[in-house]
Amino acid sequence: MNNHPIMLVEDNPDDVMFTLRAFKQNNISNEIVVATDGERALDLLFPESDAAPFNPALVLLDVKLPKVDGLEVLRRIRSDPRTQSLPVVVLTTSSEETDIVNSYKLGANSFVRKPVIFDDFVHATKVLGVYWLLVNQAAPDWHTGG
Amino acid sequence: MATEFMPGEHAPDAAVATEQHHDLPVGQDQLLALIDNTNAVIYMRDLDGRYMVVNREYERLFGLRRNEIVGLTDHDLFPKEVADEFRANDLRAAASGKPVHVEEFAPNDDGPRWYITVKFPLLDSAGQAYAVAGISTDITARRQAEEQVRKLNAELEQRVRERTAELETTARELDAFAYSVSHDLRAPLRSIHGFSRFLEEDYSDRLDDAGREYVARIKSSVAKMGQLIDDLLRLSRATRTELNREPVDISALATEIIEEIRGAEPDRQVEVDIASGLVTTGDSHLLRLALDNLLSNAWKFTGKCEHAAISVGSERQASEQVFFVRDNGAGFNKRYEHKLFDPLQRLHTADEFEGNGIGLAIVHRILSRHGGRIWAESELGKGATFFFTVTSSSPDAEPS
Repeated sequence: MNNHPIMLVEDNPDDVMFTLRAFKQNNISNEIVVATDGERALDLLFPESDAAPFNPALVLLDVKLPKVDGLEVLRRIRSDPRTQSLPVVVLTTSSEETDIVNSYKLGANSFVRKPVIFDDFVHATKVLGVYWLLVNQAAPDWHTGG
Repeated sequence: MATEFMPGEHAPDAAVATEQHHDLPVGQDQLLALIDNTNAVIYMRDLDGRYMVVNREYERLFGLRRNEIVGLTDHDLFPKEVADEFRANDLRAAASGKPVHVEEFAPNDDGPRWYITVKFPLLDSAGQAYAVAGISTDITARRQAEEQVRKLNAELEQRVRERTAELETTARELDAFAYSVSHDLRAPLRSIHGFSRFLEEDYSDRLDDAGREYVARIKSSVAKMGQLIDDLLRLSRATRTELNREPVDISALATEIIEEIRGAEPDRQVEVDIASGLVTTGDSHLLRLALDNLLSNAWKFTGKCEHAAISVGSERQASEQVFFVRDNGAGFNKRYEHKLFDPLQRLHTADEFEGNGIGLAIVHRILSRHGGRIWAESELGKGATFFFTVTSSSPDAEPS
């Protein structure tokens, strides 16, 4: 089990609450760090000070975000050698084809539409957690930052 | 005959030669009568550009008598640029030694006139040009008509460009709308459902049966609305997506879809018969969506049948290939047939069969975008048959 924290980039407080609850119900105990807009997500991943860059096990990324949108965050993640192998799951409300196509073009590992039905949401979170924290073998480079 | 006449150095003699069968040679008066009774403008000028003769049409047109014109040049009669051009064309004909065809224009009291002109040199016995004759036919009306056509075409093109731009704007707005519906309506629904669930999970001991029932109803309504939003988006997408025509195997598609539907309700016994070799040309994604709706309907409306049966096939009707999806389910009342393909119209109550009435609207939209049609036959309680064509009977037509 990958014990690094999970980064949730989400501006909707209800969705934050649901995600935290869904992880809890699925017994996923990784710390969850929430960035409520794209700028904060980038500040955490690429700090300007000497603070160590944040190394999450997984990024759950909303598309529609204030300030810097999710696709721009994804582009920055993929263009920086420190984060280029970081697993990023786009987790969003819309299922617009352009969002799906652009997410994959920019290197998203997965695209998940947030289900309206909470039980489906919990199920999706469980599948994501099991796959990315337990089943998936992460790239060895990005945890060490090189 | 004219070619013998035109380059001849002695025009009257040449004309005589053509009349050799007659006893009387053609005289000057007769030739003048000939050139005076045409509505072409005829004239002859020497190499200095001085008029030697003009016909009556020339006199009429410019309001001058021929004895006033003889001896003058075009520079005495026309603006300089016009006269320069006439002169240049004269000299070209004289130098080339043969007829030249040019388009010329001359100002006139009622506006500019356009002519198609043949100019030819008159040669002396040594083969030297001593004059140039011209026959000018007025083509102003034709040119105006052509100009009119050009103008109308340009206007039409402009209108098409404007209309296309408008449509593109509308399509973009529709896209933005669909996006916003998808996002902004679903997010609060998710909140309502999520918090209803929290109430159930965390507060169920503090709610009585009625309270729990209310929460269950909230959740069920949210689920319906979520489905409605998704279906409306599908309808909008069926309208917006670009059509990619390719060969489509309807038999294979129908088989796949039925397997999916069966997978979701494995306990139901439904006899399905899909004819083999059903093929057409169309957008495979959209046709899949259309078939999915038709087959899901057939599946749904046979839900109360003891021996449910669905068949997919095709037949020829008036030289058209018509596909059909037939079931022996609930059917519908023929009286409401016209409402069948309207969005949000339902011919059954929600108690009888679930649904929101978008499915057939999607099917209708998809088929009409392909240039095809859909219609249905049914009798209440005795099943329904949905007939459809995918391509239009005239292969070029592509209604939007």
